[in-house]
Amino acid sequence: MWSEITKKLQETVQNIMPQVEAVIGWERGFNEIRIKPVVIKKEGDISKLVWNPFCVQNLSGYLVKSPAVIPREGRRVAICVKGCDSRSVTALIQEGFLKRDQIFIIGIPCSGTVDWRKVMKRLERSSVIHRAEIKDGRLMVEHAEGVEEIPLREILLRRCLRCVYPNPTVSDVVIGETVSPHIEKEDLYKDVEAFERKSLDERRKFWAETLSRCIRCYACRNACPLCICQDWCIAERRDPKWVTQKPTLKDILLFHGIHALHLAGRCTECGECERVCPMEIPVMFIKEKLNETTLRLFSYEAGIDSNLVPPLLTFNPHETGI
Amino acid sequence: MRIGVFVCQCGTNIASTVDTERVAQEVKKLPDVVYTTTYMYTCSEPGQQEIQRAIEEHNLQGVVVAACSPRMHEPTFRRAVEKAGLNRYMFEMANIREHVSWVSNDREANTKKAIELVRMAVAKLRFNQPLFPSRVAINKRVMVIGGGVAGIQAALDCADAGLDVVLVERRTSIGGKMAQLDKTFPTIDCSSCILGPKMVDVAQKENITLHAYSEIESVSGYVGNFAVRVRKKATYVDWKACTGCGVCMEKCPSRKVPDEFNEGLSFTRAINIPFPQAIPKKATINRSYCIYFTKGKCGICAKVCPAKAIRYDMTDEVVTEEVGAIIVATGYDLFDPSAYGEYGAGQYRDVITGIQYERILSASGPFGGHIKRPSDGREPKDVVFIACVGSRDASVGRPYCSGVCCMYIAKQAILTKDHIPNSRSYVFYMDIRSPAKNYDEFVRRAQEEYGVQYIRGRVGKIYPRGDRLVVQGMDTLLGIQVEVEADLVVLATGIEASRGARELAEKLHISYDQYGFFMENHPKLRPVETNTAGIYLAGVCQGPKDIPASVAQGSAAAAKVLALFARDTIETSPQVASVTERACIACGKCIEVCPYGAIRWKELKGGVRKAEVITTVCQGCGLCNATCPPKAIQLQHATDNQILAEIEELCA
Ligand SMILES: Cc1cc2nc3c(=O)[nH]c(=O)nc-3n(C[C@H](O)[C@H](O)[C@H](O)COP(=O)(O)OP(=O)(O)OC[C@H]3O[C@@H](n4cnc5c(N)ncnc54)[C@H](O)[C@@H]3O)c2cc1C
Ligand code: SF4
Ligand code: SF4
Ligand code: SF4
Repeated sequence: MWSEITKKLQETVQNIMPQVEAVIGWERGFNEIRIKPVVIKKEGDISKLVWNPFCVQNLSGYLVKSPAVIPREGRRVAICVKGCDSRSVTALIQEGFLKRDQIFIIGIPCSGTVDWRKVMKRLERSSVIHRAEIKDGRLMVEHAEGVEEIPLREILLRRCLRCVYPNPTVSDVVIGETVSPHIEKEDLYKDVEAFERKSLDERRKFWAETLSRCIRCYACRNACPLCICQDWCIAERRDPKWVTQKPTLKDILLFHGIHALHLAGRCTECGECERVCPMEIPVMFIKEKLNETTLRLFSYEAGIDSNLVPPLLTFNPHETGI
Repeated sequence: MRIGVFVCQCGTNIASTVDTERVAQEVKKLPDVVYTTTYMYTCSEPGQQEIQRAIEEHNLQGVVVAACSPRMHEPTFRRAVEKAGLNRYMFEMANIREHVSWVSNDREANTKKAIELVRMAVAKLRFNQPLFPSRVAINKRVMVIGGGVAGIQAALDCADAGLDVVLVERRTSIGGKMAQLDKTFPTIDCSSCILGPKMVDVAQKENITLHAYSEIESVSGYVGNFAVRVRKKATYVDWKACTGCGVCMEKCPSRKVPDEFNEGLSFTRAINIPFPQAIPKKATINRSYCIYFTKGKCGICAKVCPAKAIRYDMTDEVVTEEVGAIIVATGYDLFDPSAYGEYGAGQYRDVITGIQYERILSASGPFGGHIKRPSDGREPKDVVFIACVGSRDASVGRPYCSGVCCMYIAKQAILTKDHIPNSRSYVFYMDIRSPAKNYDEFVRRAQEEYGVQYIRGRVGKIYPRGDRLVVQGMDTLLGIQVEVEADLVVLATGIEASRGARELAEKLHISYDQYGFFMENHPKLRPVETNTAGIYLAGVCQGPKDIPASVAQGSAAAAKVLALFARDTIETSPQVASVTERACIACGKCIEVCPYGAIRWKELKGGVRKAEVITTVCQGCGLCNATCPPKAIQLQHATDNQILAEIEELCA
């Protein structure tokens, strides 16, 4: 099934190659469950492209952060997107960072991607993977110590288990069959609601413990396709002096507060921040709360309709509800 | 930095609940603070001299005054430090009166809070920078939007002073509501006799350009230099050629066009001049009723027009007017009484509104000035007036008083008696509001000389009995139910914001209240200024008022414009946003959120874009700063560093 889609993907790219400067997709990494991003610029490389549930990365950040592939007048770039990734692309179009006609979007419906860390935890001592295959909702891994079979649901990323937009919301071509979401839309924020039912002390304790793990590596920020300040991020600048480099909980909290608030009404819940965090901090959870508020106050979800203006980026005196 | 702190006692206003001596002693211990003192009235002349003396004697580089709200005295102290040679922005004020001494009697807590506020001011002052205003030239033309009596007055006053005036009116004639009135309280002089000459003046003044049947498309620019795009709607008549002879109107076969000027009480033609005294006196085709436009054939007006002025192919035209100031005088509209189902407005033809009754009373009105019932043309004997229909009633979203209804009801009741001496008038009212000069006497005259019966109470229901109407209500003074049989019922419908007022406010970047009335800068001290420099208000668009008050505001707004134009250039505040270009990532978010359109793109070499603040347009609201992710845009005198320093100090 995955090889079929991969084949179709390669054929599609073959066809559009003359119209585009580059194609951003995924290729195999150092083993089968570790996939990495790839930029295809010549036909000979097309065979590198793959698609399977290990294609975790949201590639849309490259369209705005990577000078080599930033689309512009006379340089059209193709990009492969899952459902969640497509929302990032739409959000970038909404905010004027991308022009729709400068990108070619290859959409791939996705029934969930695999959290390699969950897999590794199941393999106990072993870390060398010889072969991995997903079939009939189960992952089969041949590793140094033997063979392990794990139901797919148990190793999906948290973001995928709560995904309601598994099919690309914007695309020029779709490869693969439409899939249905894992949860109902009304359950989207049930984790947030459950958390909010806890006492203030419990919540404070949770965040103090969780965030104190943060090493301020800024991986979360760097992976976010909508975090666009790059070298000018105020988390690293000292003028204006919002945060210091001191490793205190206060500074960490402030950094995450800034990160989240800069994404308020913009975050598409692609979950990249959380996926890349080496300290396994549920970074997206903070943004889920903001998104829950955005939805409640403005009936707005980011990255769905490229004609809408994000609610916090407009001055609308008729605003109701606040 | 060498900082001096002056703690004011404000007589006993502050000193009675704040230990000012202790505040001065405590803050003396702060780093950089080299001099502190207390003073009885720091804002007084000797108080200011004391600051100046200390600046010289102690070589102060920055000054903090802990006193009252900066709203009143910040300018005073800024001038004082400037006179002693400091930049006026090297000054900070800590409000220990409104924020401290007046809100609590707890001397200990107050003193502690006062010390904290002063510490915050000192912390901020350390980051202050000398700032300098810039100057821009003023385009000495003025635009007046809305040609009611307020706008006309403003336009004439400005024109008399020699200014070029552009008057923009949405309807085909100026005059506004006053043109529709019959007589005016409290003198009962004929409305068109006093307004008419002013309207003619507008037409005759060479320095007034009138754009009638026009609306504001967009506004850009800033005080001294606005560019306003005006949409001149298609009239299908070449107004340069039209002589206003009215032949077209006479011959037009489309005769069932509700006459707006007569509030729907009569019909006019598809091509019409709204009323005999109209300015400009030009014909306009109403497309929705014109047979040529609806059915594709007719063309009679084109045939009969002696001036050959008809242009069926005319389209809207947009012109740009450049002006240095704008007076907004867009007036009001009236509450739709169908919200009160129990009054039967729209259901019973003899239940009419106050403005309709003005037309009925008027000699140029639908019945030639004879009071008749719209239903059968019979002369009424019993007339009931109902006050506060859509005023002072929170249940219909109109909790405010319309201000003029009590008075015009008295006027209309008096006029009814003059027209029909054996008639009887009844007024159902809540309270009588008649506070201005000669107003209460006027109402008394209605009651005493004209025998108008005032019944205090609300009407519950109106229903027909035969060809008459029964008005059922409560007399709350007698505490009984009353029933009055009437031939005609007049509803004093309340004043509401003019249709489209909110949209216009947004184009002008001025604020409006929850009802759509435009907001003045200060309700007492700056009543005709808006929050946007160079834009002024006159008349009912700012809130309900009568003709004398509207005219006074028209003149006041004109005076404000003249004061502004008395200089050739204006100083602009440096407390505006400013972009640190290297940190700007060109996300454009500031441009999106700025409510004043004060930020634009600037193109650097190699097509690199950066945000740029038009300092003269920026009002210093700070939305851009809050939105800018890398904080590249900073508000001068309220920078992140300044605010963070204050917070840091407070939380320390
Ligand atoms: C029934 C009745 C009787 C009254 N009798 C008296 C009386 O006897 N004595 C008295 O002192 N007061 C009386 N008043 C009050 C009086 O009508 C107002 O005080 C006065 O008309 C206010 O003038 P104005 O210029 O502010 O507004 P308006 O008369 O409403 O004029 C506003 C003008 O602006 C135009 N306009 C609106 N929007 C736009 C736009 N977006 N662009 C361009 N033009 C626009 C309108 O077409 C209109 O011409 C009465 C009111 C009513 C309802
Ligand atoms: S990726 Fe994780 S550890 Fe790194 S800054 Fe973000 S939250 Fe902290
Ligand atoms: S402070 Fe910023 S948002 Fe406010 S007016 Fe100035 S530029 Fe616009
Ligand atoms: S919001 Fe900040 S970074 Fe973005 S364009 Fe404006 S100044 Fe530049």
